[in-house]
Amino acid sequence: MRAAATTPALVGRLPNGPTLTRAALVLGVGLGVLLAVLLLAVAAGSVGVGPGDTAAILGRRLLALPIPETWAPATETIIFELRLPRVLTAMLVGGALAMAGAAFQAVFRNPLADPYIIGTAAGASLGAVIGIVLPVLLPALALGAGTSLLGIGLVQVLAFAGGLGTVLLVYAVARSGGRVPVVTLLLTGYAVSSVLAAAVALLMFSSGRALAAVFSWLMGSLADASWPELAFAAPLVAASLALLVVRWRGLNLLLLGDAAAGNLGLDVEREKLVLTMLATLATSAAVAVSGTIGFVGLVVPHLLRLAIGPDHRLLLPASLLFGAALLALADLGARLIGGVPVGVVTALIGAPFFLWLLRRSRAAAPVLSA
Amino acid sequence: MAPRLRTPATLLAALLLSACTAAVEASASPTATHVPSEVATPSVQPSPEPAYPRSLTDDAGREVTLAADPQRIVSLAPSNTEIVCALGACDQIVGVNDFRDGLPDDVLAALEDVPDVATFTGVDREAVVAAEPDLVLAAGNELTPSADIEALAELGLPVLVLYPETLDEIYADIRLVGEALDETEAAEALVAAITADVAEVRDRVSDLPAPRTFYEVGLFEGEIYTAGEDSFLASLIELAGGEPITGDALTTAISAEELVVADPEIILLGDAAYDPTITPESVGARPGWEGLTAVREGRVFPMPDDLLITRPGPRIAQGLEALARAIHPEAFE
Repeated sequence: MRAAATTPALVGRLPNGPTLTRAALVLGVGLGVLLAVLLLAVAAGSVGVGPGDTAAILGRRLLALPIPETWAPATETIIFELRLPRVLTAMLVGGALAMAGAAFQAVFRNPLADPYIIGTAAGASLGAVIGIVLPVLLPALALGAGTSLLGIGLVQVLAFAGGLGTVLLVYAVARSGGRVPVVTLLLTGYAVSSVLAAAVALLMFSSGRALAAVFSWLMGSLADASWPELAFAAPLVAASLALLVVRWRGLNLLLLGDAAAGNLGLDVEREKLVLTMLATLATSAAVAVSGTIGFVGLVVPHLLRLAIGPDHRLLLPASLLFGAALLALADLGARLIGGVPVGVVTALIGAPFFLWLLRRSRAAAPVLSA
Repeated sequence: MAPRLRTPATLLAALLLSACTAAVEASASPTATHVPSEVATPSVQPSPEPAYPRSLTDDAGREVTLAADPQRIVSLAPSNTEIVCALGACDQIVGVNDFRDGLPDDVLAALEDVPDVATFTGVDREAVVAAEPDLVLAAGNELTPSADIEALAELGLPVLVLYPETLDEIYADIRLVGEALDETEAAEALVAAITADVAEVRDRVSDLPAPRTFYEVGLFEGEIYTAGEDSFLASLIELAGGEPITGDALTTAISAEELVVADPEIILLGDAAYDPTITPESVGARPGWEGLTAVREGRVFPMPDDLLITRPGPRIAQGLEALARAIHPEAFE
């Protein structure tokens, strides 16, 4: 039980699990917060729209309520075509990153794991940057910025494929004798990421006028959120997250260490592969529509472990709800500041807040030594 | 109404100039006697264009249909703003780029209460929609991010992308905006005026020897940016009687080594207009620059009119003249 001895706080609550009332309380609060953030984030923006009009427009368009149209058509466009898809995309991405982060931290038993750790970010970045720069470098291809496949931009498709493809590659390279040691996987991910990052830098160097667009994507931005992109990412994220939640038992067992989990009947290698791929699928779909937004996937699971413990039955859905709310709030901040990339906001405000919380809850600090 | 009042004055000046250079535009120019009546009663003159809806093709090759004569214009770039105002439609502008440096004073005054809806880095789409425009004038080559252009077009707003890369394309864009705003006569007159001014400058310098001219656009992180190969700025320098030393066509950068090999005879400091630390003295002190002919002969000049030179708008002839005066002061004595 060597592994368990090093992770006392993580496994401390496993035998009992959360009670039903406790779970209902946590998820109820999360859902309430999410709903409040949704209304706030849709009502606020660079153009003032009253909360009454906001609620009325949402009610009319989403619930088909027979509300008379007393507002300008432009107001409805702002709420329904610009803000609502953006807020919902922020929630989808925040939830996906937080939940994928929780899964990666358990699979790798590494507190520094985030959704990008084995190459998703580097691969998606390369894909996206190719998508942005190609029309500039090779105008002959006539790949205008408007080029789209099935209503989704070239950039999104390449980012998604790049993220997913890179993790598959990393996994294949790190595999030896049917086993994928965690350390080898992390190091392989790091090395492959470095190569891809160099390629990204090379492309940025020759991107000319598109540099601003590349930069905005790399910092993570939700400015281009739209209904078609949301429709592309939402089913992918939803499916992979649902499949992750039902595998909570595997995640809990992996916290005990590979040997102990194997002794308890878990096919450790297979479980890790499945969990990694599910989390990567959600991450790649999220990154494709938002760029690489940092911090959310790393920190939200840690915050929640401090608050509600490490049991994935509760941790995964709670990560989804609170990650969604956090990123929607951060994006609201980004919009109000004047269009800065949301990744800047999450790091600038989120990281000091996390440090403060960390110092306040010294008692719970061992959680991080998992 | 102040901006509206500019129209007759601009037209008159333009027509006088075009009459003076009738040889240049002989076929297109109407006779001097019959022109003023057109100016005085533009509403009587039947428009040669079909009535709205009107279909236009912009510089990005996009087809844009205007349902009616635009009354609310959003201009996402200062060059577009200048074109609209020069056509006398300043009072129809309901949203602009927050970069207002270098706009003519009367334009600035007319736009005082008009909100900013875009910055250098992007477009505030909500603010554009809230301005309820019936015409959006964007800039090409990512000056207005293409994602923003797409998004606004997707929302059903008519977005015209303007990206002139030569003098002729500036004229074409002025005519395009004129067509969009049903101000075709004003557009023709404005083009005639600019053409005349350009011809005057060209005539002064065209027979003079062309010195190797280096125009410094900016200096960032050790990279020197100048006129790109085959760029608009390069063609303008040529027109102003210089032989342009150009950088990479895409990045517009030139290495210090290439610059030393090209050995400019004249160095023009466009960036001195914004950065007071860039002076002929500081340039001479840069490592490797002291041997350049321009530095040795003291022909390094700050260009306070950089915005006129680099902004592809209706005042481009003034920019050209500023360039020509710097390259060939003797021609303007």
